[in-house]
Amino acid sequence: MLPEIKYYKANTVEETVHILAQNKHAIRILAGGTDLLPELRSEKQNRKVIILDISSIKLLNKIEDEGHFIRIGALVKHSQMVESILLGRHAGFLTQASSLVGSAQIRNRGTLGGNICNAAPCADTLPPLVALDAELTLESSSGNRTELLSGFIRGAYKTNRANDEFLTWIRFKKLPEGCRSNFIKLGRREALSIARLQVAACGMIDSNNKICYIRIVPGSTTPNVFRFTEVEEYLLGNEPSERLFSKAGDMVARKMVEITGVRWSTEYKKPVIAALVRRSLQAIFNLKPGVAVK
Amino acid sequence: MQKKEHNVVGQYTGRLDAFGKVTGRALYAADRCFPGMLYGAVLRSPYPHARILQISTNAATRKKGVIAALTASDIPGARVFGVVVKNQSVMAEDKVRFIGDGVAIVAALTEREAREAVGLIRVEYKLLPAVFDVEEAMKPDAPRIHQGDNVFIHHKVRRGSIEKGFQEAEVILKRSYRTQRIEHSYLEPEAALALPLPGDGIKIECCAQNAYSTRRSVSEVLGIPMNRVEIEQATMGGSFGGKDEVMTSLCCRAALLALKTGRPVKMVNTREESFLESYKRHPYILYYKIGAKKNGRLTAIEARIIADAGAYASMSPFVTWRSAVQAAGPYECLNVKTDAFAVYTNQAYTGAMRGFGSPQVNFAIESLMDELAQELNLDPLELRLKNCFTEGSVTATGQKLNPGVSLKEVLQKAAGEMKWEMKRALYEGEKRNQDYIKRGIGLACSYRGVSLGAEGIDAAATVVSVQSDGSVIMWSGISDMGQGAQTAQAIIASEVLGISPDRITFFPVNTSRISDSGPTVASRGTIMGGSAAKKGAETVRDSMLKEASIILDESIDNLIMYNNWIFSSKNRTKKTSFSALAGECFNRGVKLFGFGWHKSPSTTWDEKTGQGQAYFTFVYGCNVAEVEVDTETGQVKVIRIAAAHDVGKAINRAGVEGQIYGGLVMGMGYGLMEEFSIQEGEPQCYNFDEYLIPTACDIPDMKAIIVENPDPLGPFGAKSIGEPATELAAPAILNAICHATGKRIRELPADLEKVLLDHKLKRISKRGSEEK
Repeated sequence: MLPEIKYYKANTVEETVHILAQNKHAIRILAGGTDLLPELRSEKQNRKVIILDISSIKLLNKIEDEGHFIRIGALVKHSQMVESILLGRHAGFLTQASSLVGSAQIRNRGTLGGNICNAAPCADTLPPLVALDAELTLESSSGNRTELLSGFIRGAYKTNRANDEFLTWIRFKKLPEGCRSNFIKLGRREALSIARLQVAACGMIDSNNKICYIRIVPGSTTPNVFRFTEVEEYLLGNEPSERLFSKAGDMVARKMVEITGVRWSTEYKKPVIAALVRRSLQAIFNLKPGVAVK
Repeated sequence: MQKKEHNVVGQYTGRLDAFGKVTGRALYAADRCFPGMLYGAVLRSPYPHARILQISTNAATRKKGVIAALTASDIPGARVFGVVVKNQSVMAEDKVRFIGDGVAIVAALTEREAREAVGLIRVEYKLLPAVFDVEEAMKPDAPRIHQGDNVFIHHKVRRGSIEKGFQEAEVILKRSYRTQRIEHSYLEPEAALALPLPGDGIKIECCAQNAYSTRRSVSEVLGIPMNRVEIEQATMGGSFGGKDEVMTSLCCRAALLALKTGRPVKMVNTREESFLESYKRHPYILYYKIGAKKNGRLTAIEARIIADAGAYASMSPFVTWRSAVQAAGPYECLNVKTDAFAVYTNQAYTGAMRGFGSPQVNFAIESLMDELAQELNLDPLELRLKNCFTEGSVTATGQKLNPGVSLKEVLQKAAGEMKWEMKRALYEGEKRNQDYIKRGIGLACSYRGVSLGAEGIDAAATVVSVQSDGSVIMWSGISDMGQGAQTAQAIIASEVLGISPDRITFFPVNTSRISDSGPTVASRGTIMGGSAAKKGAETVRDSMLKEASIILDESIDNLIMYNNWIFSSKNRTKKTSFSALAGECFNRGVKLFGFGWHKSPSTTWDEKTGQGQAYFTFVYGCNVAEVEVDTETGQVKVIRIAAAHDVGKAINRAGVEGQIYGGLVMGMGYGLMEEFSIQEGEPQCYNFDEYLIPTACDIPDMKAIIVENPDPLGPFGAKSIGEPATELAAPAILNAICHATGKRIRELPADLEKVLLDHKLKRISKRGSEEK
């Protein structure tokens, strides 16, 4: 059963920061509600919950082309992202990730901002956004600030968001011309699936057939989502080959175990993340016809 | 006019209940409200095994809005119930036996007040040693969960001499298999509304699957006769065998609160409560030994089966009996020894679930047959064709099968549909490829006893009442939980009366309006309810034809009832509409009411010798599944699955296909992903975010092959499909996985970890989602 709820609704960014500033106690922000609602149902305490519904702020419901950059409003829904030609062209793996979130119903309600602020280790959009070095804008009554997504997320379900601020924009640089990207999600079923493992990767080769640009971000592997830069450096300047990619996969797997230690699932995750990284690189560099992995 | 064999039977007929369900107008129990209604809530045990020293409801009673708070000591009648073994508490009296066991109940003005009040009830417990592992529970020094031994059921089947059989064998395999606990996953969680009736009676509107056994228990618990307990089924949102005891206890609780307060009381479980308290499918441990000649002929089968019954007996005695009878599979074998045990443990109890003891043994014997085929270097289909039952075969319980043994037919039809031989060879060849995706094809087959068999008396009632305008009302003691029982019965009555099914309005089960028809279980709805409907309709038909014969001046033998008309086959001008005839019959005082009662042929069982005529008839089925296995991730994709089932006669083809499709998907969930895991008594999932069942996107291409060998014991030859449809997909898929990877998985489900690593991974630390 839902707890008792005190409900506010804000129609503008100004109203939102005003209400946030006036309520010192933690307000729960409602954007799509796909995480919030199940959370409220499972809460045991009988405390009254204050909810601030920001879903009607029209300003934050658009994807903007800023030349070299793309700016996505925090209230843009996954289904809008899937349909965006702009995103498909300049950040294909983000579109792919959005298309694999939950189910059609969840994609029609769930927002990008919600996916980020909930900060689940298995959130589908985080690996591609981190690979894009996405930057967030947070707004409060005292103004706004920007922060890199990779620093904003401080662990499983933990972020740097202060109680009086909220996420408004997600901004990143378009992938370079000729750069290919790929997102793999491994789940236990075809829809409504919590990822077991993910890999977001993008890259390109130069005229000498050497890798000149590469980003690799595994998901659901470590409490924080970040670029595996050691592996990226290892790949740079090399010619794409199955052997190289297998090695990169193994490096990612080793690094994962270094960070998490050996857990109950390590025996499974270690070989599998290695294989997924290899496949992801193979798909980007066209080594093998991409085998669809859900 | 060329008359077809049947006019309505065997067609694709829309469901009577479809409109209400599709438009959302159907009223489920949770949708109903009554003036002055209170809400009930349950306090459940947080401990797997503990003595109750004291319960205080004072603080709860004082809370605003609370009208009543009751414990076991407030029960006027019996404090325990049970269809086979009476040991399940309505509310725990002396001790709690699993996490989720009901302890106390509250009625309040609002749901919130009721739920908050539950938290104010103080219970003093003394923890007792608990046992969770079924083999631990069998040991003599294990904590006792009830009076008497934890091993409370032992069924035997004995045929021939197992020693002799293994001596004759040229190959002997010993294997063990395990199956998991799963949840029924009905869409609608449990709900009941109890209304006090004038004169100390009670009416309960609810989603109980088996209204009559629920009524018996409510009557005993309240201490009032059965004629003052009226159970009426609301529209049901699925059951799959799952709304028996859990609904009985909910109905008892709601009734207790309603009688205590004199007001209607509504109780609805949340999904979390349903997961916690409802019973599950039994996890089994199965030890098998099989002997065969080199040519593949079976010489001996030995099975020792242990079922985890959880905290209460529930249907375990019957579930394990079916397992014992069918454990050796549909194969001719002169020497069989089966022992099936049911054992108490301190966790969610297990009971009836679609399949009822067959999915577990089918998984074992059908995996084992594939293992044997591999050992003997025979094709799995060939090995089955060599040993499977044919006309005149005698089962492991010494029963000679009725004519119509169609096992070879279903095997060949399903295998043919899937191009078995070609694909078996093709995928075998592909194994040498480098690709990490491997393909495989596998099959499984079964025979299954129809209806209750030697479990008990098997009879059912249906009423057909024709109105003076030619419209028809029917009602039955057989429940419709969404499986289409009402539609099947309406089709049968329509066929008899020569009318279209849309003339029929079907009323739900009401225990005060029609005779006890037993439980709607064991795939008996169509064969029992349909036979009753046929008899009821025939009674009306006979009296109407007699009258028509007078009105039309034509011999009864020449009259045909067809398409809402009655006419003479000799002279087509001699005719009357069904409606006009019904009106005329009414005016002449002719009975237009037919009560159909059908009792099944008797069965026999000797517990000592483990032999008998276990069931009065059987059905035969085969599933063939084709999979792709990602050998780097353990992901399995079922590409295509074909199911051939001999249903005797399809009453509603759309209904039969629907049952097959639903059954396949349910069986696939059992095979690949479902697992209701309990650790130290604590369930590891409480909702569908973590308890995974297949989604629409996981459903493979499915082919339903309806085989019809009409059985004289069923209405128009019809037998069963509900449970046969779900009992074979898991072994067929697991056999296909083994064909693809060469690795045999002997424990369900075949999830990512097991497929990749060959063994189960146990979660020992908290998940990321819990670190919040």
